[in-house]
Amino acid sequence: MNGSNFSKKFIFNEKIDSEYLYSLYEDDYQYIEEIFQTTLTHFDEDFKGIQRAYETDNLSDLKKAIHKMKPTFGFVGLPLVQNICRDFEDFCQKATSSNELTSEYQQIVVTLAESKELIASEYNKLKEFNSNIL
Amino acid sequence: MKWTCVIVEDLQVAADYLVKCCEKSGLLQVKGHFTNVEQALEYLNKNSVDILFLDVEMPGASGFDLLDQLAYYPKVILTTSKSEYAYNAFEYNVTDFLKKPFTYQRFQEALNKLTTAAGDNNISSTATDHIFIKCDGKLVRLNNDDILFIESMGDYVKFVTPDKKYITHNTIKNLEEKVNRLTFIKVHRSYIININKIDDIRENDLFIKGNEIPVSKAHKADVLKRLNII
Repeated sequence: MNGSNFSKKFIFNEKIDSEYLYSLYEDDYQYIEEIFQTTLTHFDEDFKGIQRAYETDNLSDLKKAIHKMKPTFGFVGLPLVQNICRDFEDFCQKATSSNELTSEYQQIVVTLAESKELIASEYNKLKEFNSNIL
Repeated sequence: MKWTCVIVEDLQVAADYLVKCCEKSGLLQVKGHFTNVEQALEYLNKNSVDILFLDVEMPGASGFDLLDQLAYYPKVILTTSKSEYAYNAFEYNVTDFLKKPFTYQRFQEALNKLTTAAGDNNISSTATDHIFIKCDGKLVRLNNDDILFIESMGDYVKFVTPDKKYITHNTIKNLEEKVNRLTFIKVHRSYIININKIDDIRENDLFIKGNEIPVSKAHKADVLKRLNII
């Protein structure tokens, strides 16, 4: 974002679309670290919102919760996960009860949990990388 | 003078990113960020702003509900992750539609649309990437990216490019309102510079391709805000 142009380049995990990240923030690694940190800070609350809505069979809240969380993954270079969320949101739109979504829900819960682990791991790596530069 | 804006967005990371984009533009002053329509309405009904960055789907009422209830109508840029809202956006006469996440370049394009839509004489001609100047009996096209700076010469101004200087009858005061405000900034009563061409700044002078340009006290803070200082 600030175009800091560090000569040293951070190597993102292969699951992260680094080109996409650079298109958003250039090579402002400090800011990318902030983005990952903010995402992690709010992750559990948003994730719980999805789980709560599913468990109480509240499809409207489930759709809203996944809709809210969806762009988060774009901001951290996981556009594929963003697309998975979009697909799940579409399923929610069509479903009449959460029972119809059991399989998709189980899949997305796993995807979200794995994504959180990945974001946390990348955040720690970024923090270390940035502290070494400063 | 900067435009005032408010961000209505329930996703913190998206709101933070928008604030960063607004700050980077140097054109916007963020007056507040609200995570739901009710809080935003309470603020907006007491305070007028120029621009509203508005998410559509949020807990409780939607962004469109907010627009329905607003007593006045600022310029609106929708920020959402669903392209399906494009039709509603058209119905509500919003200026632009940013699909999250969006690049800073895309954000700038939205700002350019705002300047056009504003119909403000001060800014309506600022959205283009070039200007025409009267010089030597003809109209000469200068691309913004080619202009290093503009210098006052009494009733004339000098446009300086890497290859050539163009002198035309005009004033810095008049040009300040005509040039693209995303690219150019007034740094002194006698100088407008291309913000992307600064090589370095020392005390109260800046340097562009070997040219020393004074920065007045009145403009220094604005100039520094526009730089990507890390």
